[in-house]
Amino acid sequence: MAHPLQELVHKGWVWQGHDAAEQLASDQLVDTGWPELNRRLGGGWLRGALHELQVQHNFQGELAFLMPVLSAQQKPCLWINPPAQPYWPGLHYQQLQQAPLWLQESEPKRALWAFEQALQSASLGVIVAWFPTVDASAVRRLQQAASRHQQLAFILTPWQQQQEARAYVNRLQLQWQQQQLQVAVVKRRAGWPLPPFPCPVTGHLPERRRRLA
Amino acid sequence: MSRDKLWWYLALPQLLLDEQLSLQSEIQRQQPQVLCRSDGQRARTVVQANTAARHAGVKLGMAEVTASTLVPELQQRTYDEQREEQVLQRLAQWLHQDIAQIALYPPQGLLLEVDDLQRLYGDYAGVQRQLARRLARVAVGYQIAAGYSPLVARILAQVPQLRFEPMRAAKSELLEKLRQVPLRFALLPAAQQQQLENVGIQCLGDLLQLPVGELGARFGRAMVAYVAELQGELLPPQRYYRPPLKFSERLDLMTEVASWQQLLFPLRRLLQQLEAFLQSRQLSVSCFTLLAHHRDQSQTPVRIAFALPLWRQREMQQLVQLQLERQQLATPALELSLRADAFQAREVTATSWLPAQQDATAQRAEQQQLQALLGKLQARLGTAAVQQAQAQNDWRPEAAQQWQTDLQTAKGPSQGLPRPLWLLPEPEAIAVHEWQLQWGPERIQTGWWDGEGVLRDYFIAVDALDRQGWIFRSHEEWYLHGWFS
Repeated sequence: MAHPLQELVHKGWVWQGHDAAEQLASDQLVDTGWPELNRRLGGGWLRGALHELQVQHNFQGELAFLMPVLSAQQKPCLWINPPAQPYWPGLHYQQLQQAPLWLQESEPKRALWAFEQALQSASLGVIVAWFPTVDASAVRRLQQAASRHQQLAFILTPWQQQQEARAYVNRLQLQWQQQQLQVAVVKRRAGWPLPPFPCPVTGHLPERRRRLA
Repeated sequence: MSRDKLWWYLALPQLLLDEQLSLQSEIQRQQPQVLCRSDGQRARTVVQANTAARHAGVKLGMAEVTASTLVPELQQRTYDEQREEQVLQRLAQWLHQDIAQIALYPPQGLLLEVDDLQRLYGDYAGVQRQLARRLARVAVGYQIAAGYSPLVARILAQVPQLRFEPMRAAKSELLEKLRQVPLRFALLPAAQQQQLENVGIQCLGDLLQLPVGELGARFGRAMVAYVAELQGELLPPQRYYRPPLKFSERLDLMTEVASWQQLLFPLRRLLQQLEAFLQSRQLSVSCFTLLAHHRDQSQTPVRIAFALPLWRQREMQQLVQLQLERQQLATPALELSLRADAFQAREVTATSWLPAQQDATAQRAEQQQLQALLGKLQARLGTAAVQQAQAQNDWRPEAAQQWQTDLQTAKGPSQGLPRPLWLLPEPEAIAVHEWQLQWGPERIQTGWWDGEGVLRDYFIAVDALDRQGWIFRSHEEWYLHGWFS
């Protein structure tokens, strides 16, 4: 019989002091490009980690949200199973430095294998993958690979109705409301979940006219 | 005192059978097996036999019928001299990594000129160690003998009791051995051998005693040349083996094999040979063809390509394995062959101490790592599964980028126009009343010269979910072409 505390740790409701934010070197953290988010995540995206972004609908600002970290990369980024073609002229216009690599594999097992292989290579910048569902063991495996090879990776999935525990370092929920991207932190390192805050991604989007009432 | 040159002769009396055995499993190898040949009218006789067959009492030269009566479970195959010659060539290629001067004596012998190799390996013992190590990897039985002329080496290699440590090779010693060799091992044409026997010459010692002038008068010039070769006074020029710049090897599988997975083991051997071939020329390969040969003479080719040039067997094996996982073999295969004819020189990747060059080296190393990753992914998932965008000078949005399967130093797009981050593979027809136009139009009218002309007015518009799309009007129809976020 496991101790009830074990269960809570397993669910991610209790965290342990030894991996507190203060103990991380600053080069372990990558600027997200959003000061408010940096503050909430204890400094930025953790390198050597897998982060989850839950999106309500595709194309609702999630890519603009990732643009700062993508365009900071000197090495090419790998896009696994994106919902449409990444468009290099548009990405270049948003200051992306290297032409994107696009991997399309409909068979989930093989796509996960490719993801793991990519995490092991030091030649890539960020890896961004779109998966409808990823089970807990796959996440744990990918998270281990990312941490072993100090690789930064994102998984984009649809909104999850009930939150099962996953080994992601950060889990964020993205939603478009009142012409702004609302970012809720569902899980983070060394901290409680946080309510949504507006993220000013519109700077990376074409200017909008005020919607007619 | 001038040193005498030294030749080694490598006799391989069971070459073809050894080659076949090396492709079999341990259990198969324990079965008694023989190769038989028929000499014209006479019954088929055993020419090569493995250890199991010998233990069971089979002897070389025995009639096939006798052998199979003696050992009922005996496996018999037909001896093929041409096949054996190919195996010999392969062996020469394998040894060519260490020894530059190799002459072929088909079907079962190799003449090695080892004189110059002493400097490299210290002494003859060193050369012999290296040779033994090399030969151990191909599991072939051999007998080796030294001689101060090619002929002497060849003769001594035949006679088991006269072979001795090849590194001790004083001429006087060798000559002493040579005198005891019976005439039937003299490698003379049958007619000449008969002539000599008729005058009572039993062994080479008898022949060497005779004055050369008289021999010439009686048996002709050929005999004079032969004796001169025996004494090391005449060294006929040898035609040395030159490895071909085309790799093509074929393997017998012995049994029919129904899937590519089962071919992986024999394939290792082919790849080892390919590695040896590449190593001796300092080349690398980035694509080759594997052929499965079927019973009805038809073939199934599989093209294997790597994203970066390779030469090590282990690396090639991994990638080939991944590529073969996707392949189906429709009919069982009897033989497997590998062909390669496009090679690349290897690139030197030395690290430099100059900072600027170090940077370039690091960048190239990174590029190579990326190539390797791409190679692995493409091998398992198919070449088209991983692609990199390449900017093109074209005003048509769908033609402004191309996806390429190999890495290139990508130049950025030249136009600095606001473009969406996403492009749909095909423009999607939409109902325009569900969209709110925000910016536009941008007219794109181009491509009239290649028959795929476009006339479109592009707008940025938001849909019901407040997403910013890139839509266009063409011939009064509206289409969605991309997304901005």
